[in-house]
Amino acid sequence: MQRADDTLSRAKNDDHTAFADLVREHQAMVFSLARYFLRDRATAEDLAQEVFIHLYQNLSSIESPAHLKYWLRKVTGHRCIDHARKHKMRTVSVDDAPEPVASFEFGDSLMSATLRRIVATLPEKPRLVVTLRYQEDLDPTEIAEILDMPLNTVKSHLRRSLVILREKVTRCLGEVEV
Amino acid sequence: MNRFDDELKLALRRQEPSADFADRVMARIAELSAESKQEKSREKASWLQRLAEFFQPPQMKWAMAGAMAIALIVAGAGVHRYRENDRQRMLAEIAEGEKAKEQVMMAMRIASAKLNIAQKKVNETTEREPDSK
Repeated sequence: MQRADDTLSRAKNDDHTAFADLVREHQAMVFSLARYFLRDRATAEDLAQEVFIHLYQNLSSIESPAHLKYWLRKVTGHRCIDHARKHKMRTVSVDDAPEPVASFEFGDSLMSATLRRIVATLPEKPRLVVTLRYQEDLDPTEIAEILDMPLNTVKSHLRRSLVILREKVTRCLGEVEV
Repeated sequence: MNRFDDELKLALRRQEPSADFADRVMARIAELSAESKQEKSREKASWLQRLAEFFQPPQMKWAMAGAMAIALIVAGAGVHRYRENDRQRMLAEIAEGEKAKEQVMMAMRIASAKLNIAQKKVNETTEREPDSK
């Protein structure tokens, strides 16, 4: 924690090496949020890059390492939604995807790949809520704060998304043990 | 948490971007910093240029005239203020003198009245004494 504080304060004092350390520390979080939302690696990298440049320009407003994490999640989430609005992203139906084999084992890559593909078919806000919930392990209150969304809306997005995900996984892979 | 949640966590685990991601971010930042520095130096240069032009002979003449006018106004205001303070002080001293004079007169009037009463009493006593003899 002390080290993170130190890196942050050095970065705030225009130390580029310290800022590069901050980028390396948080790049997986920012990139993955964008990747699962945008469904395209290159676009996600571009968006993540823009988020870090925006961070560099606003570094003076960051108060602590925890605030930095919160700030990055918030900015990435909002930029993803803005990007989707600008580019009018199309939600691909899971029905359009080829049917995978019906059997699977717990934790296997087929299950993960199928789940990722199904998550990608969710509408924008529920997709972001699910990604923040399961990628970042955030609770609904934290998600509501990050996305400036009422808590009940977050809970309802999560509930409905999980129903859809279970239903579609069952259709693709067979019965899911829960 | 149940198995489905665990599956989702596993499916949506963090992934690393390209290996050169941080380097590319830093390169963009270096570019932006260089642009910003150039912009600042351009701004600074133009500011210095404006300052230098201002002190060129024709402008300098006007600047000196302006400075002198300001100095005269400030000095005039100072003298006026000093005189005004002096006048106020004198008026206050006169008012105080008048007040003191008034108080002395009042004291003298009181003392005179008391003396008259005493004189009257002495006279009355002197007039009564030969009769008693």
